[in-house]
Amino acid sequence: MTPGTRGNHAATTRPEPGTVLADQDALDHLFSVTYEELRRLASSVRHGDPSATISPTALVNEAWVKLSSSSRFAVMSPLHFKRIAARAMRQVLVEAARRRNAEKRGGDVVFVTFDESMAVAATSRDDLLALDAALDQLARLNPRQALMVESRFFGGLDVTETAELLAVSEATVLRDWRAARSWLAGEIRRAR
Amino acid sequence: MTNPAKTDAAEIDAARWEKIQTVFHLASDLPRADQRVFVERRCSGDRLLIGQVLALLDDDVRGSSFLDRGVAHAARSVFDAATHSSLPGFSFGPYRLTRPIGEGGMGVVYLAEREDLGSVAAIKLLRDGLLSPSRRERFLGEQRTLAQLSHPGIARLFDAGALEDGTPWIAMEYVDGEYLTKYCHAKRCSIAERLRLFRDVCDAVQHAHSHLVVHRDIKPSNVLVTGDGGVKLLDFGIAKQLGDQSDVSDATQTGLRLMTPAYAAPEQLTGGPVGTHTDVYALGVVLYELLTGRLPFDLAGRTPSQAAAMIVDQSLEKPSSVARRAAAREGWTATPPGGRAAWADLDVLCLTAMHRDPQQRYRTADALIRDVDHFLEGEPLEARPDTLRYRVRKFVQRKRVPLGAAAAVFVLVIALVASYTVRLQNARNAAVAETARTARIQGFVLNLLQGGDNEVGPADSLRVLTVMERGAQEAASLDAEPAVQAELYQTLGSVYTKLGKLDRADTLLRASLEARRTLYGSEHPDVARSLIAQGRLRVEQARVADAERLVRDGLAMSRRLRPPDHPDVADATTALGRVLEARGTFAQAIPVLEEAVRLQAARGAGTPDLAKAIMALADNHFYAGHFDVADSLYRRSLVISKARQGAFHPLVGDGYISLGAVQLEKGNYIEAEKYDRSGLAIMEQWYGPDDPRTASAQTMLARALVRESRYEDAAPLLQRALATQEHIYGGVHPKVASALNELGTVAMKGKRLDDADAYFARMADIYRRVYGGGHYLLGIAIANRGSVAIERKDNVRAEALFREAMVVYGKSLAPDHLNFGITRVKLGRALARQARWNEAEREILDGYAILSKQTSPSVSWLKAARADLSIVYDSLGRPADAAKYREAAGK
Repeated sequence: MTPGTRGNHAATTRPEPGTVLADQDALDHLFSVTYEELRRLASSVRHGDPSATISPTALVNEAWVKLSSSSRFAVMSPLHFKRIAARAMRQVLVEAARRRNAEKRGGDVVFVTFDESMAVAATSRDDLLALDAALDQLARLNPRQALMVESRFFGGLDVTETAELLAVSEATVLRDWRAARSWLAGEIRRAR
Repeated sequence: MTNPAKTDAAEIDAARWEKIQTVFHLASDLPRADQRVFVERRCSGDRLLIGQVLALLDDDVRGSSFLDRGVAHAARSVFDAATHSSLPGFSFGPYRLTRPIGEGGMGVVYLAEREDLGSVAAIKLLRDGLLSPSRRERFLGEQRTLAQLSHPGIARLFDAGALEDGTPWIAMEYVDGEYLTKYCHAKRCSIAERLRLFRDVCDAVQHAHSHLVVHRDIKPSNVLVTGDGGVKLLDFGIAKQLGDQSDVSDATQTGLRLMTPAYAAPEQLTGGPVGTHTDVYALGVVLYELLTGRLPFDLAGRTPSQAAAMIVDQSLEKPSSVARRAAAREGWTATPPGGRAAWADLDVLCLTAMHRDPQQRYRTADALIRDVDHFLEGEPLEARPDTLRYRVRKFVQRKRVPLGAAAAVFVLVIALVASYTVRLQNARNAAVAETARTARIQGFVLNLLQGGDNEVGPADSLRVLTVMERGAQEAASLDAEPAVQAELYQTLGSVYTKLGKLDRADTLLRASLEARRTLYGSEHPDVARSLIAQGRLRVEQARVADAERLVRDGLAMSRRLRPPDHPDVADATTALGRVLEARGTFAQAIPVLEEAVRLQAARGAGTPDLAKAIMALADNHFYAGHFDVADSLYRRSLVISKARQGAFHPLVGDGYISLGAVQLEKGNYIEAEKYDRSGLAIMEQWYGPDDPRTASAQTMLARALVRESRYEDAAPLLQRALATQEHIYGGVHPKVASALNELGTVAMKGKRLDDADAYFARMADIYRRVYGGGHYLLGIAIANRGSVAIERKDNVRAEALFREAMVVYGKSLAPDHLNFGITRVKLGRALARQARWNEAEREILDGYAILSKQTSPSVSWLKAARADLSIVYDSLGRPADAAKYREAAGK
């Protein structure tokens, strides 16, 4: 019995041109770590314990610390890694949301417990999917802006880091963010 | 006020988006009331643009709770929902889920009814396997781990599979019980009762360790106590198979996140190497909790990094003082047997298990169990200072290297050491000297096991060899104690024999024998054991005559000096059977091995030694062509091995490969391939790719593939096997010959006749040099050259070779042996091609009779025989007979 499960993410991992990307194992590993970290993040919110709350920035930093020991990621700068980690977080979340929605919408699996908190969660999941779609469109209009949103929202990069990543001024980041946020907010609202 | 114009991206392009933003930024800092006028003026009548900018300004104010709350809430909406999802009533396979009974880091556990059997099981479903490849692998790892383990204190694995969407599940024994700590609290268990339960937990952990499995998440909520007071260790979800390379990076990374900090050893938190000592630490925490009613560290409200710092840095309060306070506060009678003075021992016990430095802990769960037993019996602890064992431990610790290494050697050596210990303890001489010697051997073995890092596993034979070498040097330094030294040389020599390092084994075993002769003279039970060990080595070296002499001498000596039911006698008898087998005299080997099986069975049902003896007997029946007898014996030995060693063990692998060989001989190639693949998987995982045993398994699998005409699949397996065999055994060895045989077969099927003949010629040469002229394997090599000659249409030469082969068979095989059958059919063809029809008819008919008695009628040899017979009868002018065989051949 061999675990022939590698490569599930081959179709969803779309490294951008010029990205020094590690091999599939390293990516699988990144997705796995990201997954565990996001789960931890989710549970820190649930428990409402402020001392246990972890920011996405901290998560990405920890993921970097964990993965940078792997030679496959060692060639990357921390910033570059954060960008990839942000992409990974987006993909893991979106895939998870799609799966949950698929479960919710039936198949042969019926969930009997459907309490209010689940209804709230379902709305947020739809928002997440709407954000994902809107980000794809934004990438067509202005790739830099889409990358910025991805890095800030999913990867928790701060303004300084984002500016460095995109090689623009911090003022530009703030301007771009404001416009993108407004536009995305509208897209998400209209998708409901 | 709000302009409903859509800013749908489908309607805008990059340039338009730039325009919108430019106006947006100019307007956004104006007072809200002035924005509309400004935008309208600025856009000079472009109604669409005006609408788009105004919508954007609107959303700037309105914002988005989803975007503003950030990714943490998004994550919660995705992952939290899963917690609520439950699948009662859902059915798959024979199971129907009844209700969720638990949730771990990895998945959700349901109680399930097995509808066909009316029984219940616990079903664990992996959560989000598709999102996290390593999570999925870990889940499958748990399944593999459980499959290996068989212990009353560990919940058993029943079944495993995947749902339609690929979600993997495992079905386990459902344990109806209470958490360990709750149970003790509710029953107000005494210290002694708690210790006995704790001891049972340690025993289950020790079982896992002996299978190279580290649990990594031992805590009271993973230990249930059932109604009858038995404990069950649960949740091997993040267990680690020592030596499993795929898990190395994962061990200290994602693995860390999944375990429970309160029970985590400092090295788990600091990213140090994880090994069996990690579980010993967690057992220590469990003991602490059992003794005091609370956890050793108060981690409430701490962040993970603060918690880690506390565990790594803070010194521990003694259980005795915590318990005293708790007793005063809650009126709990914390009195251990032996009164208050015994608390000092309990402190030592607990704090030794929990020591921050893995080196200072109990080396194994077994060592911990021993001290629990000592405590319960009122004996001094091994962990206490000022005992002999304590000093030995100190001696061992001087090395300053972590424990847990050399797992493969561990398995081989521990059993040997246990038997030496017993032997030495039973020796007649002064008890003190013997105890010192025992301790010295234990110390030595511990030393051996401590070298290198902690990840050495079965697959890493190179590092194992390094450790072994270190062991040999240590042994060499034990001049003052030649008896101990000789024992260790024999241990190491036997291990080297098994690892295929035959020269090194030879040196050590000779040294052992010489030392013993010097010590005891030529007549002594240990000298006998040395002779047997050397005999086994000679078999591997293919020096069969030497092997037989050594083993017969050794057996005779053991019989003179030992009672007839002594293990040495049983062991030597098995060794003799193996020698006779290596000589090719199966008819002689069979009664000897029947005796060995009888002796071993008398010593206990289900022992590994019994399994090995049965296996040897089965092999000889197999070689003698008694396939059905062999089949049932193999199955018997496999049952024992599985029960004893778990499903993942070389003995089990051997069993599969042997069953494959039987199926191959019976013509069931697909079945054979299936068994061989199972066997090869175990061997590769256990020994690694470059090991002789892996090579043998590759050869067996290739053999099945050849019979299925899958030559391209077979050839690379064979080349790899040949390279390994030549490297390990040198050019002249039966195992090399076996690989050459398969390569020759493949070459012949590929019509590379010169290559084929060269392979078979080399094969024959090896057998002749190793066995002399009388071994049936030499006959096969010669017959195969005959087959090449037929392909070359050199029928005269073919005839000569087949006749030569049968002369060789005649020296060791019965006239109705399968090999005679095949070769007679072949000879018949060579004769028919020379138009010697009458002679051909006789050979083929004889061969046909032998074949149809022994194998299933679909086998290609029978078909070939029928086809040839129909041609022969046509040529002899007997059309009725020809038609009879032609009709049968066509079927």
